Amino acid sequence: MGAGNLGSSLARKLSDMGHKITVIENNPRAMSRLPRGRVDSGAMTVVHRDGSTGAAMIEAGIADADVFIAATGKDSLNGLAAQRAKTVFRVDRVMTAVKDEAARSLYDSLGIITIDKTALASDQLAELMPRNQDEQEKQVGQ
Amino acid sequence: MYLVIVGGGKVGAPLASALINEGHEVFVLDHDPDRVAALQRELGMVATVGDASSLRALEDAGASRAGAIIATTDSDEDNLAACQLARNNFDVPRTIAVANSPENARLFELVGVDLVVSATDLVISNLATALPAHPLIRLMPVADRTQELVAIKLPAAGVVIGRALSEITLPYGTNIILIVTADGRTKTPDADAVIEAEDEIVALSPANTTAELWEVLTELR
Repeated sequence: MGAGNLGSSLARKLSDMGHKITVIENNPRAMSRLPRGRVDSGAMTVVHRDGSTGAAMIEAGIADADVFIAATGKDSLNGLAAQRAKTVFRVDRVMTAVKDEAARSLYDSLGIITIDKTALASDQLAELMPRNQDEQEKQVGQ
Repeated sequence: MYLVIVGGGKVGAPLASALINEGHEVFVLDHDPDRVAALQRELGMVATVGDASSLRALEDAGASRAGAIIATTDSDEDNLAACQLARNNFDVPRTIAVANSPENARLFELVGVDLVVSATDLVISNLATALPAHPLIRLMPVADRTQELVAIKLPAAGVVIGRALSEITLPYGTNIILIVTADGRTKTPDADAVIEAEDEIVALSPANTTAELWEVLTELR
């Protein structure tokens, strides 16, 4: 659900990996972010509706889905959709993007897998930075 | 009781005012500064600007000492998030949410919101009482269809309730045949028979005045 920056690039990657993807996106402009060829060839399905509704989920084939991922930019909307997917449609693995720490721990506690892209990015960036110890060694070496 | 209301719009604002009048201590959270200013003008310092689904805003609104949180925004996802965050982080004992869409009302109940007010269901049930739930039943045509035998159920709030049959002006040619009470008794339609709420009137009516008869008998006070 959601073909924003995260949703569209995720859809592309998962499709590359050979998964069958249906994207639910309300905004026709956001849909242009999806790989056109794959949508046209039917390898990727697009449902043009408000993705948090049961009707949109049913149209997207949620009854057969192994995974539901809520990837809009709004924590509360992701949370509502994820809870519907989990409790109403009993999807096995439900994931949601979150921005806020409180939302993260809330949805975690409900058994929803949360992804905080800001935390992921900052973790990765921090990984790239030299450690204090290395700094000191460098100074000693000089 | 100390109550946090999330959303100071068309539901939240009058609700805040009513609860204050009932003696509750109320605090309103709304993302719109204009609305908050209006609430402050009207009710005093009982409102602050903040996001429904922000922990910080809930904290500022005093969620940690609230007896209940009532989420009334027009965004269902924010109402749910506000209730769940309040319960999860501040142990608010009672969570109440408006669900604008009926399917979200079911979901809210399923995921543990204590009291769910379904806006659509409320409108529908109110409309159902306002619309004629008092059908005209055409039992059979009589005299080569120039007359018909009909049954009309009377509304509880009808103008004819409490009047004697002789005080009601019926269309010319109408014959009241029988009155059936709500509990199934039958009354003879004498001139002094008094019409009661939910009575059902069985009448022989000229076919061209049946609609008028229905209007007379079901007109609301």
